[in-house]
Amino acid sequence: MGSKIGESKKRVEDARLMAGEGTYIDDLQPFGNIHHAAILRSPYSHAKIKNIHIDEALKIKGVIGIVSGKEVAELSRPFPVGVSEPVEYYSLAIDKVRFVGEGVAVVVAKNRYIAEDALDKIKVEYETLDTVVDVEKAMEHDAPILHENLKTNVVNHRFFDYGETDQAFEEADIVISKKFKFPKYSATPVENYGIIADFKASEEQYTVWSNFHGPFTLHSVMTAALKVSGHQLRLQIPKDIGGSYGIKSGSYPYIVLMSIVSRVVGVPVKWIEDRQENLLASSSGTDRVTWIDAAVKNDGTVTGLRMKMADNVGGYIRAPEPANLYRTHSNSTGAYNIKNLQMETIAVMTNKSPTGLIRGYGGPQLYFPLERMMEIIARKLNMDPADLIKKNLIPADSFPYRTASGGIYDSGNYQGALNKALELIDYEEFRKRQKEALKKGKYLGVGLACIVEPSGSNMGYVTIALTPEERAQGLPKSGSAEGATVSIDPKGSINVRISTVPTGQGHETVASQIVSDVLGADDNSIKVYAEMDTATSPWSVASGSYSSRFGPIGSSAVYEAAKKVRNKLLKIAEHQLNVPIKNLSIDDGKVFDKNEPDKSISMKRLIGTAHWNTEALPAGMEAGIHETAFYNIESAKAPNADDTVNGSATHGFVVDAVTVEVDETTGEVNILDYITVHDAGKLLNPKIADGQILGGLAHGFGGAMFEELVYDEKGQLLSGSFMDYLCPTSTEMPKITINHQETPSPLTPLGAKGLGEGNTMSAPAVISNAVNDALRPLDVVINKLPLAPNMIWKQISEKKQKMKEEV
Amino acid sequence: MEGKGKINLPGNKKEVFEEMLNPELLEKCIMGCKEFHVIENNKYKAELSVGIAAVKGKYDADINVKNIAEGESYTLVIHGEGNPGLVDAVADITFEENGNDDTLVKYEYQADAGGKIASIGQRMLGGVAKLVINDFFKKAKNELKLKQEAV
Repeated sequence: MGSKIGESKKRVEDARLMAGEGTYIDDLQPFGNIHHAAILRSPYSHAKIKNIHIDEALKIKGVIGIVSGKEVAELSRPFPVGVSEPVEYYSLAIDKVRFVGEGVAVVVAKNRYIAEDALDKIKVEYETLDTVVDVEKAMEHDAPILHENLKTNVVNHRFFDYGETDQAFEEADIVISKKFKFPKYSATPVENYGIIADFKASEEQYTVWSNFHGPFTLHSVMTAALKVSGHQLRLQIPKDIGGSYGIKSGSYPYIVLMSIVSRVVGVPVKWIEDRQENLLASSSGTDRVTWIDAAVKNDGTVTGLRMKMADNVGGYIRAPEPANLYRTHSNSTGAYNIKNLQMETIAVMTNKSPTGLIRGYGGPQLYFPLERMMEIIARKLNMDPADLIKKNLIPADSFPYRTASGGIYDSGNYQGALNKALELIDYEEFRKRQKEALKKGKYLGVGLACIVEPSGSNMGYVTIALTPEERAQGLPKSGSAEGATVSIDPKGSINVRISTVPTGQGHETVASQIVSDVLGADDNSIKVYAEMDTATSPWSVASGSYSSRFGPIGSSAVYEAAKKVRNKLLKIAEHQLNVPIKNLSIDDGKVFDKNEPDKSISMKRLIGTAHWNTEALPAGMEAGIHETAFYNIESAKAPNADDTVNGSATHGFVVDAVTVEVDETTGEVNILDYITVHDAGKLLNPKIADGQILGGLAHGFGGAMFEELVYDEKGQLLSGSFMDYLCPTSTEMPKITINHQETPSPLTPLGAKGLGEGNTMSAPAVISNAVNDALRPLDVVINKLPLAPNMIWKQISEKKQKMKEEV
Repeated sequence: MEGKGKINLPGNKKEVFEEMLNPELLEKCIMGCKEFHVIENNKYKAELSVGIAAVKGKYDADINVKNIAEGESYTLVIHGEGNPGLVDAVADITFEENGNDDTLVKYEYQADAGGKIASIGQRMLGGVAKLVINDFFKKAKNELKLKQEAV
């Protein structure tokens, strides 16, 4: 049986995963004589390395080599990064460490046990330096400097001015200013980083297997660091990756490191990261401080915004950072019709671990302050937040909508989705319930958040970090291309090769659905290969799993490749049936004349012709069936000279409505109901869509309530295990209702948009709004995360104490 | 991490003060002390083996005695480094005559952990510090008692 686009086809991946037959990096033995690496990490957040003594470690039986910064400096260059400041970031500390957990030396041994034991025998002499972990302190003039050659920790600083912002603020009835802090947290895939690297001296060839999932722009970053051509670094990714949520893109420095290690010690080297290493030193989201001013009219219309945002990128700015500041640049005004916008964006280095891609990238940091502001403005004007949002939402008849900063929102009906959410949460009724509950001393609250979810990143947006003058000196960057290959073998089996490197999102299933639909083919005749190989896969610099790009881009590439195959088969049929192609249709394994359905030819015959009887092909047609398509989206253009840019291919919409009860005596937040309404255009597979939404929501919920990489002022990580770094499990998850509205994107061939990240962006904001709504009678305002009971309880107690003193 | 405490030890102020800096007593009374060397006057090196959960491992410790007011007070500056990470501690110790041939020893310390000890063991560090300190003074008290009895 064939399947159709839009059906909830069962995931084809699950049979092997449930049977324990998944193929993960740690299962692989791609080379003979693999040895195992362990990494010595700095216990100091900021120190000079004076000496490394390895003699005792080398004496241990089974140890075959030790690599330190000296070899890394010889065999590689610093990684390129998208800012103009020359930050020297290598895959191992060279003469200084800048965060706790930074790699200082690598031991290679017969097995991991011996390698780890040998780490204990390495003695490193450090000279400690002053530490700075706070983003605001790191910007001060007398702050300890991490990279002496820069003379500052500020590594990227830009100003933007769109519309008539000054005028909007002059003409405002009120101006509201607030400051928000967003915490540093991570994603915690079940599988950590894994690398198996091999260097063949005879060919000067690095071949690396890993669970890196792109973006493959970073392949260029790696080859530049290794000082090799593209094909001298062949990356291979296994069929299965045990989750990532962006974090595994940060494995690329280890790909370079293990490449060098393999070269130095002369054997293939395997390194599997452990959980402590992952929390301590892999990658995370940035913590951000946002200062935001809103120009508001008395009727609730927000006419202008000024935002200053400072991102903490850790000890080294690492590609693709400072992109966290800019990924949401073109949707900075969110779901609102605000035409006047000034922004100041700052990336700051401190003695914390480096940051990078993470689900929602930039979105949680943007929408927490923006959506909190909407609630604060409503409170100030004595309006209901729902009314304030309605007043400012982009009207449904104004799509495609161009934002102040250049974003193009392709389609939407934000009012429709909001009304749906208000209806599902029973908003009016809940307001009554809330009043009744208060009389009994119970604090109930309802929160809303409306967010625009960008998907399918434009390669060009990252360059907004540079000034128009700096950009003009290099090649412009644009596009968002993805490739896919569909081929049919002589037996009629269909093979689909994709380069979207899924980390659990079910790309194999959806790709197979699309191909089945386009070719009218049986599901069993289709196999999808998601294994990535930079030597043979159809990939582009934009390939990989990030920015929810399978929905808008990856699926489109599969669709276009399948269409090429379809056209070829139809052309052969046209030739053989003598029926013009426009009259032909495919169904049930046959091509037939729409006007005379009896006039048909089997697909088997058509496929056979292309392989076995090429003489019968139309004149000039190539033999075989093997088509590759590269799909690109036209709206992904390079930034303009006025600093406007459309950062993403498509823009979905999410509205969350959440009700909570806050226990005044303990500060505990109990989520009563969580409604999320999504508009991601056409849904390709609703069941998979819901799974992705739930996962994103759990991550956002974790960020709202529990997760934080906590550092003390000396730069020591205090939440380095799951004892202290709390993630929600299924028992903590609240009741969730997912609802969809489908407003197809006019830009993508299937009308689909991305959707896996939306609730990561909205959950911290919406839960926080609900908690603030609940605490409104106590006059307590909370503008930080996570919403831990001790933090909330402290604020309630302080307020009560203050009120007592005033009385 | 901060802490303080006090304990009565047998002996007059001068005796107790001297014993508290006696390398032999220190070696005997510090939990898990494998080796104890006097580097120079008031400078020691110790090799410690601690067997408590996340803090478990071998440590090399440098111990410096500073700000010595003979018979009255001194400051201990300790830097310990090992596979699980590092600990930096500063402790102020004062001695007060207590009558009954007892001396009241008061201590106040501040300690910072680094590396793995901080990232996975910080929640238990306070408890471990108390355990190590209490164990030390308990043993020291016994040692002093035995000495008194021997006299």
